[in-house]
This record gives sequence, structure tokens and C-alpha cells, in this order.
Amino acid sequence: MKHTDSISSIQVAGIIASTIIGVPLMVLPRFIVAEVGEAAILASVVGLILSSISLIAITELGKKYKEYTIIGCNRLLLGKYIGNLLNVLIIVSMMIVMGLEVRQFAEVLASGLLPNTPIEFSIIIMIFLCTLAGFRNVSTFAYIHFFYLPFLLIPMVFLLFSIKDLETYHLLPVFGHELSLFQFMKGAFLMMAAITNYFVVAMLIPYIKDHENCVKNGIWGLFLGGLAILFCIVMTLGVFGVQELELLYWPVLSLSRIIQIPGEVLSRIDAIILITWIFAVFTTLFSHYFVAVRGTAEIFRTDKFNLISTIMVPFIYVIALIPDNIYEIYDYGINTAFFVLIIYIALPIGLLIIGRIRKRVRVQ
Amino acid sequence: MSPFFKKSNHNTDQTLRYLESKIVNEHKNKPISGSLEDNIQLLKNIFEKDLDYSFRRFELFNQIPSAIIYFQSLVDKEKINQDIIKLLQEHRMVEENKDKIPQYIIENVLYYNDTTTVKDMSKIICAIMQGKAVVFIDGCLEALELDVLQLEKRSIDEPDTERAVRGPRDGFIEQLSINISLLRYRLPIPEFRVEETEVGVRTKTKVAVCYIEDIANPALVEEVKQRIDAIEIDGILDSGYIEQMIEDNPKSPFPQVINTERPTKVVGNLLEGRVAILMNGSPSALVVPATFSQFYQTTEDYNEHWVISSFVRIFRIIALVFSLTFSSIYITFISFHPELIPAKYVVAATSGRHSIPFPVMFEVLMMELSMEVLREASVRMPQQVGGALSIVGVLVVGQAAVQAGFVSPITVVIIGMSTIGSFAVPSYNAANTFRMLRFALILLAGTLGLLGIAIGLMVVVNHMLSLRSFGVPYIAPYAPLNIKALKDSIVRAPFYQLKKRPQNIYPQDQTRMGEMVEDHTDYNFLEERKREKR
Repeated sequence: MKHTDSISSIQVAGIIASTIIGVPLMVLPRFIVAEVGEAAILASVVGLILSSISLIAITELGKKYKEYTIIGCNRLLLGKYIGNLLNVLIIVSMMIVMGLEVRQFAEVLASGLLPNTPIEFSIIIMIFLCTLAGFRNVSTFAYIHFFYLPFLLIPMVFLLFSIKDLETYHLLPVFGHELSLFQFMKGAFLMMAAITNYFVVAMLIPYIKDHENCVKNGIWGLFLGGLAILFCIVMTLGVFGVQELELLYWPVLSLSRIIQIPGEVLSRIDAIILITWIFAVFTTLFSHYFVAVRGTAEIFRTDKFNLISTIMVPFIYVIALIPDNIYEIYDYGINTAFFVLIIYIALPIGLLIIGRIRKRVRVQ
Repeated sequence: MSPFFKKSNHNTDQTLRYLESKIVNEHKNKPISGSLEDNIQLLKNIFEKDLDYSFRRFELFNQIPSAIIYFQSLVDKEKINQDIIKLLQEHRMVEENKDKIPQYIIENVLYYNDTTTVKDMSKIICAIMQGKAVVFIDGCLEALELDVLQLEKRSIDEPDTERAVRGPRDGFIEQLSINISLLRYRLPIPEFRVEETEVGVRTKTKVAVCYIEDIANPALVEEVKQRIDAIEIDGILDSGYIEQMIEDNPKSPFPQVINTERPTKVVGNLLEGRVAILMNGSPSALVVPATFSQFYQTTEDYNEHWVISSFVRIFRIIALVFSLTFSSIYITFISFHPELIPAKYVVAATSGRHSIPFPVMFEVLMMELSMEVLREASVRMPQQVGGALSIVGVLVVGQAAVQAGFVSPITVVIIGMSTIGSFAVPSYNAANTFRMLRFALILLAGTLGLLGIAIGLMVVVNHMLSLRSFGVPYIAPYAPLNIKALKDSIVRAPFYQLKKRPQNIYPQDQTRMGEMVEDHTDYNFLEERKREKR
């Protein structure tokens, strides 16, 4: 596809960071702590490191096939039929992920900010917000992510005010109580599943100006986003401790409710944190939507992004309404996360290997 | 007139002919007749009914019958009498060949400056309409065209919409030539280009594109010319017409072109590598490309000390944000999230509200509406009445509304703050945009609370991030983030920090400053002189 847009690798880092900080931020501490107890911090660090495999694979793929997005790569290396089958799989899974996340968002909002507003309304308005943002211009996509990034980090500053309630014994022992390696890895896997959602980078490959710095800067972006989430885990665990944390449905929201900022400008800041979290949710959903819309456009070789995104709205809306209650959302969520993780990690690595094999075959 | 580029659009000619005046079309490419009477008759047929059409017969060199034709209302009659007819009559003929007479007159008889010869009838018709006098000579296939245009013009005074405490007081007026002279005496360099074209098939308005050749990016200049060239319209009456037709996204409510009446602002922008568009008949010049940060900056910022101007700029931004969000945040706090208000203020914030029959959103909306009506009314009112009206409107009506239990006192305060905030923004059109968006935010806030505000702000910000003005990102230097350019954004760094021109418009020549003079605080040269004498 011909284009005049370009983005720098630093912008890619910003996209990765702001995509990572998103919906799971609210609920992740409880999930990980429920699995591994006090070892949550260590497990998250391991998860963070594991997550970088996907990033390295995607950026390496980008270095090799500078002209192709992941959609194009699939078609190039796997042939028209298998490639397009995988592409459809990517798009459908992106839509499912987006649907589930927007539902989670609406549920948190209903319990934290707008108890009387029906969740259907928050769901549809969020999807429309993503549709309105537009997909025509890749640099605009990068600008949006980069612009919101500072706002996403504001809650971290606010959470810092709760440091006086932090008890160090809540965080110890670092290795948890009598954990098996399997349990520990399950916690690490949860963290990895939550933060490995920057697949959108694979759709941006043709637009990246400097592929050489992409791995380095991408890792920086990954760590910035990952550390922000890690920070939330540390704070919630440190303040509440394992026992209490397991009872709180959205620990970060609960934590933000007990924070008092000096000066009494506002009596409670949970609404402010929720607003910045809305920004975070938007950037994450926008990334997923971007993959789905631009991927579909590339499969059909058109540039009618507005049409495609409008057609997708009802589908995502229906997906968002499938789970009956909040427990089901997370059941679905974890199952899809496992499946999607295969796409995120195995697909780029597989493509790299296939690329190498095909090259060798061609050489012979 | 020197058209600076050929019409590039291939199908343009067709459409333009459609829009063009039929009389001119009829005579297109028709040579003038050799007979004086035929020519006079032709023009008479067209202009017969016009009050100010006049022609005068005389004998050229006292032997050849001729006529001068012009519009009384447009020309300087003194010039025609003294500098043209008198000389043409009194001179004695030397040249014998009739075809060479016009050239002979230009070279030997007239000392008048703007004189050319024309052959085409349609051009003659247009020339007469633009304040030129045309001399027909019997038996000659060329006519003389003399520029004797004289128009009434107002004096150069300070523009009302862009007042400044410190800085030059002159402003543009309606005449293009004077506006250009205001620019040229500030930029006495050979690199300063003023290229001219015509826009509007019927109004034939002169439009000038100004730039500094070795600073402005040639691609930008080319793009500006092309966009102006692509305009197909019967007439333009103000530079606002051009603005709306060359901006990148015509659907956007945000101003994407700077308009200003201050020559200094134009020169400052030209020196940064931007392109200015001036138009005959409009006192406001356009400058492209525009970034959003320019709408809260003024030229005065560079005249004052950098600390002061940075301080003022920060307050302007606060005012801008106030005018956009203040009333909607008030609505959400009162009607959706009263838990956010600190306990000590709850009473103060809600005490006036117990007798109010309406929901907050309705109350705020009503007040905002009446404020808009008041503002519009005071713009239309004659100046003498305007002051009285605003006193009646603000003091009497506001006070009465509170006492009648119609609105709560704190609502009046909030509305007052947000309205005044919108007036603190230096750019009128940017302030208007925000005022309009404020209503959308109020509706969103009234229905969805903080989520509504967040969504509304995101829609606005996303839209602003998607805007480009002549290829330059609208929110530059914030997105894409450019740390160096941030020195001249929310704050204005001292001049020795601003050695480079703004990078986002890709100027050819990037440096604008040499080394700063040294710091003089430790060095007392008076003492030094004394010591030397000893």
C-alpha cells in the first residue's frame, strides 16, 4: 500500500506503553495475588520479561519484512488461503478481546462512577468514541497514543499518596508461601496475558521509520507500561495485604477511594483516577480496533476504514453483551487471553522460522 | 497584473467559463476594430445605462480623432486632464505610421507611469471596470491602457480585534497595495516575495501570496499557490472566503488558518517560514500553516520580558480550559458526584440551590444561552448603547435572577468565569470554537456525568490530533512531541534559547540568531573608566 505517513520508534514505544496500561489495570492485582499470594511482584516481573518475547519477535519480523504488516506477512509466507484464514482469526479474536474489555470497562464504571447508567450505554459510547477517532492516518494514531500517555501515568502519582498506608510485611516473603513452580508460572502467565496486548505494532511495521532502534525503544515502552502496572500491584498488595485483596473486586479502585490528597481540594479522588483510567481504556481499545479495522481493510484491499469500522460496531457490541455477569466476563477473558497469546507470541515466531526455511529452500 | 502560475487544473477552464460574465466571454479574443466609431459604439452598447460611464472625444496631436473612455467613479480626473489629454492634444505629430502611434505615445509623449497597449476587446472591458482609462485612436488596431485608479481609503489605525499594550499600532486596511507596503518597509530584503493572482471569476479579486524565499519551504509555497488556484467561485468578499476554501479539513470547527490585521504578526510569521495570503478588499491577512498553540499566543509575548509573557500565556491557557470545561465540571460535581466536593464546601456549593426548581444542567444551559444572546447583542449594538446594555444584562438581570430564585448564585459565578475565560483568549475564532464546544460538553456532562466530560474531551482532543494545517500537525509541538519546540509553546523562553526557527514547518534556513551578548551584571564599565583615568 502506498503511504506518506511515518512514525518513529519512540512513538512506537509510546503506543506500546499506552496500550499496555488499560482495562486489566483495575483487576489484575487481585487475579495475580489470588494465584500466587505474596509472590505477585516476582511473578509479575517474570511475566513482564516473558512478554518481551512477543515484542522482540514482532520487531524482528518487522526488520525482515519492512514493507508488510502482519496481515501481509501471513499472506506472503503462508500463501493466500492459510494466510487469510489466519488473518480472519486475528481480526475475530481482536474483536472478541475488544468486546470483552469494553464490557469490563462498563462494569467497573457502573460500580465506581455511574451506578444508574445502564452498561449498554457506556459500552456503545465507548465503541463510538473509538470509531470517531478514525483509522485513516497512522501518524494520528501514534499522536493519540503519545498524547494520552502522560495522563495515563497520573493515577500512579496519586497512588503514591497512599504510601503512608503501605506495610512492608504485606509484601514479604517475596517468593510466597510454599508455591509450586507451576502455580508461580500461572501467576506470571496472568501478568503476561494482561500486558501482551500490543499486537498493534505488527500492523504498524510499514510505517516505522527506524527499524534499527525499534527493539530497544519498544522494550523501553514495554517496561514503562509494565512498570506502571507493577506499581499498581505493589501499592495494592502493600496497602491491603493478601487476605483483604482477595475480597476486593477492583483493588485499584478501592485503593483510590482511601487516598486523601493534602490540601483538601477534592475530598475523594477515585473519580479522577477513573477518568484517567477511561483514557487508558480508550487507548487500549483503540489499538485493538485499529488492528481489526485496518486488518480487514488490508484483506479486502480497500481503504474504506470508516465503513468497516461502522460495520464492526454492532458485532463488538453484541460480543460485549454475551457474558451474563461479571464472573463470566473474566472466565471468557482468561480463556480468550490464552488463545490470543498464541497469536501474539507463536505467530510472529512461527513466521520468522517459516521465513528462514523458505529462504533456505529458495536458495537451494 | 502578473499571474504567477498557469491554471493547472485541466477542467477548470470549462467550469470557469460557466461562471464568468457573458459579456466578457462574448468578446474574448476579439481584436478591436480599426474604426473609432465602432469601438465607441460597442462599449456604449454595454455601458449605456451606467451613471458613471463617461467618454470624451478629442483629437490626438490635433489631427487624429480619438476618444478616452473610463468610469468617473474609479479614476482620478485630475490625472486624466493634466497628464493624459493635455499632452496628447498639445504634442505635434512626428510619427507617420499609424500602427506605431501607440508605442510612440508611450515612449515619447506620455510621462505617465502605468501605461500599456492592448488589442483584445475583452481585456479592455475588464480594464475599464478596474479603474483604467482606455484611449482609442482612429485607424489604429491597438488601444492605450492607463492606470488612473483612485479609491477612497481609510487611515491606518490600530485593529480593534487585536489590541496590544505594547507594540506597533498600525493595522492593515482594505487596499492591498498599502498592506503590502506595510510589510515591505519592515522587510527590506530582496528575498521577500509577493506573488499575485486573481480569485473570483466575477469579483476578480487580487490575492497576494507573500513569503521569504530563502526561509519558507518551497513545497509549502507551491501547495498554497495550488490551493488558491483551485478555488472556483464567482466572487470573494473577505479573506474568510479563502480561508474556508484552502483549509485542510473544512468540516472541522477549529480555525486552521491564522488571520490577523497586524503587519507585525505577519512579518513575525514570515520570518518563521510561514506563508501569508493578503487580499484586496479585506483588512485581515491569512497565515498558514497554523498550529493550535498560535491561537493563544500574541506578538506582544515577544515584546515583553520572557518571564512575564510566559506567565501571561499560562493564564491564557487556563482561561481557555476554563471556558471549555468549567460549567460542565460544575454540573457533574453538583448533580452526579457530590462526593467529590470536600465536606467543608458542600454547604457553600449547594446552599443557594434549595429553592431552584430546575436541574443544574437546565439552569446552566439557560444561563449560558442568555450569556450568548447578551454577547451577540452587545456586538450588534451601537457603541454608545453597548456599555449600558452590558451593565443592565450582567448586573441587573443576574442579580434579579438570583433573587427571584431562578438560578443559584454559584451558577452565576461559574457562568461568569467561563464567559470571561473565553474573552481572555487572544484569537476570536478559537474562542468561538471553544464556546460552541462548551454547549456540547454541558449536554454530555448533564447526561453522563464525568464519563460524559471524559468522552467529550477525548472526542475533541482526538479530533484536534487528527487535524493538519498544510501538512503540519495541529497540536505540534505537543504531538508529535518536540522537546526543543516546547520552549515557545506554553512558556516563551528567552531569545537566546530560541536560536532555531520552529522545526515543524520545515524552514529552509533554520538558524535565526547568533550568539547572545554577554552578561553585564558583574561588569561595571563606569568604574573601569574611572580606574583607568587614575
